[in-house]
Amino acid sequence: MHQIVRVSVAILSHCMFVFALNAQGQSNTEDVKLRHFESKIRPALIRYCVECHSAETEQSGGLLLDSSAGWQQGGDSGAAVVLGEADSSLLIKAINYSNPKLQMPPDGKLPADVIEAFRVWIEQGAFDPRTEPMVTEANKNRALSVEKAQNHWSYKPIANLDLESLAASSSALQNHPTNSTMGSIDQFIEDRLAQEGIVAVPVAQPTVLIRRLYQDLTGLPPTATDLERWSTDFSAKRYAELVDYLLSSPFYGETIARHWMDVVRYADSITLRGMVHKNAWRYRDYLVSSFNQDRSFQQMIREQVAGDHLQADDESTRTQQLVATAFLALGDTNLEKQDKEQLDMDYIDEQLDVIGAAFLGQTIGCARCHDHKFDPIPTRDYYALAGILKSATGMKHSNVSDWIEQPLPLDELRRQEFGRIESELAKLTQESKEIKKKLDKIANKNPRFIPPGELPGVVVDSGQATLVGSWVASSSVGNIVGENYFHDDNNEKGQKSATFEPEALPPGEYEVFLAYQSAENRATNVTVKVFSADGEREIIVNQRVPAPELDLWNGLGKYRFEANGQKYVLVNNAATNGHVIVDAVLFLPVEQLKDGSLAATLKTNAGDNNSVVNSEVLKKELKRVEEQVGDLQKKLDSRPKYLTVSETGKAKDIPIHIRGDSHTLGEIVPRGFLTAIQLPVESNDGLSRLHLAYWLSDNGNPLTARVYANRVWQWLMGEGIVRTPNNFGTTGAAPSHPELLDWLSLRLIKSGWSTKTLVREIVMSRAYQRSLTEPSAITLEKDPDNHLLWRGHLRRISVESLRDSMLFVSGELDVAQCGSLIRSGTKEDYNYVHGTTRRSIYQPVFRNSLPELFDEFDFANPSFSVENRSRSTVAPQGLALMQDPWVSARCKQTALKYASVIRSEGTREGISQLYLACFARRPIESELKTCFEYLGLEWQEEASNDSLDSSTQVNAARLEQLVQVLFASLDFRFLD
Amino acid sequence: MLNRQQLRRAWLQQTACGFGAIAASAMCESLQANLATDVTETNNNTGAHHPAKAKRVIFLFMQGGVSQVDSFDYKPVLAERNGDLLEFNDARQLAKQGKATQQRLMQSPWKFHRYGETGRWASELFPETAQHMDSLTMLHAMRTEGIAHGPATLFLHCGSTNFIRPSMGSWVLYGLGSENQNLPGFVSIAPSSGNGGPRNYGNAFLPDQYQGTRIGGAGNDELLVRNLAPRIDISESDRRSQIEILSRMNTQQLNRRGFRENELEAVIDSYELAWRMQSVAPPLLDLQQETAETQRLYGIDDPKTRTYGQRCLLARRLCEAGVRFIQVNYGDNSANPAWDQHSNLPKHADHAKAVDKPIAGLLVDLKQRGLLEDTIVWWGGEFGRTPYAQDNGTGRDHNPGGFTVWLAGGGFKPGYSHGSTDEFGFQSIQGIVHMHDLHATILHQLGLDHKRLTYSHVGRDFRLTDVQGRIIHEILA
Repeated sequence: MHQIVRVSVAILSHCMFVFALNAQGQSNTEDVKLRHFESKIRPALIRYCVECHSAETEQSGGLLLDSSAGWQQGGDSGAAVVLGEADSSLLIKAINYSNPKLQMPPDGKLPADVIEAFRVWIEQGAFDPRTEPMVTEANKNRALSVEKAQNHWSYKPIANLDLESLAASSSALQNHPTNSTMGSIDQFIEDRLAQEGIVAVPVAQPTVLIRRLYQDLTGLPPTATDLERWSTDFSAKRYAELVDYLLSSPFYGETIARHWMDVVRYADSITLRGMVHKNAWRYRDYLVSSFNQDRSFQQMIREQVAGDHLQADDESTRTQQLVATAFLALGDTNLEKQDKEQLDMDYIDEQLDVIGAAFLGQTIGCARCHDHKFDPIPTRDYYALAGILKSATGMKHSNVSDWIEQPLPLDELRRQEFGRIESELAKLTQESKEIKKKLDKIANKNPRFIPPGELPGVVVDSGQATLVGSWVASSSVGNIVGENYFHDDNNEKGQKSATFEPEALPPGEYEVFLAYQSAENRATNVTVKVFSADGEREIIVNQRVPAPELDLWNGLGKYRFEANGQKYVLVNNAATNGHVIVDAVLFLPVEQLKDGSLAATLKTNAGDNNSVVNSEVLKKELKRVEEQVGDLQKKLDSRPKYLTVSETGKAKDIPIHIRGDSHTLGEIVPRGFLTAIQLPVESNDGLSRLHLAYWLSDNGNPLTARVYANRVWQWLMGEGIVRTPNNFGTTGAAPSHPELLDWLSLRLIKSGWSTKTLVREIVMSRAYQRSLTEPSAITLEKDPDNHLLWRGHLRRISVESLRDSMLFVSGELDVAQCGSLIRSGTKEDYNYVHGTTRRSIYQPVFRNSLPELFDEFDFANPSFSVENRSRSTVAPQGLALMQDPWVSARCKQTALKYASVIRSEGTREGISQLYLACFARRPIESELKTCFEYLGLEWQEEASNDSLDSSTQVNAARLEQLVQVLFASLDFRFLD
Repeated sequence: MLNRQQLRRAWLQQTACGFGAIAASAMCESLQANLATDVTETNNNTGAHHPAKAKRVIFLFMQGGVSQVDSFDYKPVLAERNGDLLEFNDARQLAKQGKATQQRLMQSPWKFHRYGETGRWASELFPETAQHMDSLTMLHAMRTEGIAHGPATLFLHCGSTNFIRPSMGSWVLYGLGSENQNLPGFVSIAPSSGNGGPRNYGNAFLPDQYQGTRIGGAGNDELLVRNLAPRIDISESDRRSQIEILSRMNTQQLNRRGFRENELEAVIDSYELAWRMQSVAPPLLDLQQETAETQRLYGIDDPKTRTYGQRCLLARRLCEAGVRFIQVNYGDNSANPAWDQHSNLPKHADHAKAVDKPIAGLLVDLKQRGLLEDTIVWWGGEFGRTPYAQDNGTGRDHNPGGFTVWLAGGGFKPGYSHGSTDEFGFQSIQGIVHMHDLHATILHQLGLDHKRLTYSHVGRDFRLTDVQGRIIHEILA
């Protein structure tokens, strides 16, 4: 910031200076400058720069070099030129390649003479005759401005519609013969159809409706029994009862939760390295139970965005609130990204994308680098929101950053128990540390260094010796007595000596040893003199060869020392042919020498040392303590955790990141929301995530209720009233029935954001219940895409329902609810084999290994918010249904089941039962006939007693193949 | 407004471009006009933008990052100054500490020789590939994004280190469609499941028919497509009658509804296609149909070169069969894949041995069959390596700031070297080609304008090159 201001001031003052000069008419100099510009600078700019830095092309980095005003204004990184100061000018730094992050031109450094020309140009005041005004991007102001936001429908307040007056004016209602059964939704739809002169098709058959409802509200087909129960005496009243029955089914919450999971990019792992999110499932279970309990969606928004900041009266509420925050942490983040600052912003960007899409139907991410090109979202808004999210992080950084899991709250008793475990663990961990320390001491007591105190007899270490001349201390080679040894550096021969004289030596006979460390460069002729009671004896020691005892000790012989007699060893370097080494001298009483060998003596001596024994005891102790630590850790790990974000400190305002680059910062923006949607907020201390949660879920926020009402409509009807549910901006689709959408939004708000109320409202409408019959040519002409809902939409069974339905028909479906299915010990998701018969929603959503069939049948990409699943029709789907071993296994099981039905009830009935299970209808005669033919059975016109006999001959393999054909057929894959 | 027949055609066309397209190719051609006017109103930038020099791409992916200074970017100064401590802007340290660090230069363990009429250098790691030196276009001054494998691998494939974006093959297929309606248009042979895994051949927000099809996987020699091989537990005649009865059942169900629906008819057709594919594709995957001589050309007779040789040979077969984008992976599923010699640089020799002959064989084979002219062969990794030893050790760290890739065929200038790195082979300094630029240039040769190859998603027009990318005209023939 400061730098930019300073530089700009510099430009201004220099500009004035230049103008002043011009005024004085220094035309001669100007000619020189002009020639320099025209001959050197202009051609260079054209050749190397303006391809990207011109108003007509890309305006890269916001910098224009096609006019003088352009570089004077500078770019995103600040002023390009400081007049007269080439070295301070960003332009020169960039073309000099001196900053690895800003190197221009990008395809290679300019020739030295060109760089020099630019230097000269700037030093001389950067004369530039190109004074034509800067061209600005012609269509720069295409975007809807914040002030005019309400020109777009979705930013307008939700209309408080008066249904009664609307109904009174509705011609459709007046003309409709059965208006008493019509709900309010239908008033809007049929009114519109009447206006367009389109006749809606009638309501579908009871069995079709029952199947539709079962699939939409539970994700499973009805059983034959269900079908019979609800289709008998079918009426509007019975239909309403069925709706309530299914809304109270535990499968309802699973089905709605799965829809929402598409929107919030739910997954149990992240792509890179396939790392497994062990605790994401708690969030999924939160969704299932919340939708089952019909928790207010307003409340759910607040919990997902800021559950950690909400108040709770009891532990279970608190748990739900905390678990819900996983919403913020489910992104498919690139934890390996090394630029962690940028990673932090990428993380927030992802959160903003999802928050924007999921709750607001806004493409906020578009404003990261520039003002939104179409919608009223300036870059300031982006960073105002980012500032709010910045106060929490979803990562602990390291080379590969980690995500954040926190322990869940517990009841008092369990909390105390875990508290005990924790303190016990701390105590034991400390204990094990100390044992390790002791062991280290023993083990790490480097055997190379022998403490003189541990040796028998009397030792004079080199440190205590009298050294004459410059000896050099060293410890590079071999075993050493004490800390080091000395060498004579192979110089000043005859000038260095070392005298080893014990301070006190009891009179008696001694074996004397000299310690040295042999090596190639040592002297072979070191003179060692021993002065004893018997006089002086000279020994020549070859230090190039290892010392005879333990590669360290060289025996000098047996000597007698008297109380007041001479008792020392002298080593000097006179006439030696290499390095002379002195380490220590040992005086060992002869009676202590075992077997005439110092090595044997020292070995026995070590036996007395109890450190070996000690270390064995310690090792055992350590093992015991570590086992306990392991057990306790396991207990502690069993403490439930949840995936979340954590506050990093006080929220603070952040600067605009110019072009999204976290290293190019602009103006600091106060935290805030979308300025296009002004709602009263109370805060003394700036805005927090909690404020954001309340602003998002405010009844007065025109986007949130509309976006959610539209989603629920889409989940049940197949298409939204707005067909781009994640985009309510100006580039999104317009609502086909704007008043209806507002009415639904109001109903949602008035019901206290009850999803079940909204669902009930929709499925009770005639619009939902319409059949899918052949349209008239006129209707097809007028509204081929069924925007106006004159009939039902043909819908695909989702891959989850497809999979669940096969398991359901085969009798294998395990309907247990909630919990994690991730096998313990799963570290990464690669090649994970799912292989359970639980409902699809509970299969781990592993981004690198989706459950069976998910890849082929348009499962929502779990890495971003998905508004609509794709509807692909590709051969791998056919291959999967006809070839996949998982499908074949379901067919086999189903065939077994229905073979027994056929045995007991006859072929006709057995096949009929199979049809009922698969399609919620009985086969028509031609279909039955085809089945008989395939099974190789003689056709029976009608059920007879004979059939019971022939049925026993049903070919098992053929029956299995027949089941596969039914599973692969249109009616199993589509919903009428 | 469309009539029913047109609607159905449009539907078929819409679903026709990917693996398992619906329509026969003849029908496809006749509908090209429809495609442009009717179906693509939301993505009106599809199709070839200008005359193409190449029809398809074979990308030989050297996962983990080949060292440029040990392969094609000869830097004698490394031997002269071997062991010298110098200050470098090491990318990883720069990201972490924000400053340059002292690094020890390490010479290449391999000798370099001049090859071909152009006399360009290659190390003894690639003696066979180097025989084709005069056919290769060397890009010595590559740059990319991402210091770790994951980000850089995603950037290489999808043009983004972090965000979920379609893979290049998906973009190409989306832009050009498939040449063979019975086969996938975008194939990744033996891809790694790590470092982005399926995302590296994924369609992201593009329609599903543009997703890459995986054949085999890293770490095994089987070249299989999921669910493609006919089941062995059902006899051929039973399979045939099963598909017949499925067709009859579906027709009965369609008739029972009393109305027609294009989408349902498309599903019926998709089963027929699956059936056809089961007869077309397996023979294509069967390398035994090639002569022993051809197999030898690819080194399939040698256990050391067999695995990659088979993959390269399959690539040529797919190439002939009209697949648009074929990626031939050399890598594995680990976090430090294949060429990633952070230590023990000499291991590069094993990898080079495994790929060199197969690659040379592929080049010979493409040439002799006249395929190289309109096929782009692209060789490279996700980044290069440093000219200095990592942590004073025996290997080299990642280097996104300077590395070499080469191209062959597809209208690139043969025997031409573009750009250079500094004297150590560390940073690109002249003729720098960013990965975005390489993407843009390859698309250009395929007749696609990278700025116009866009897809609208959540209110924004996305493209492979984001807001970057320049076409490197100097390397075009």
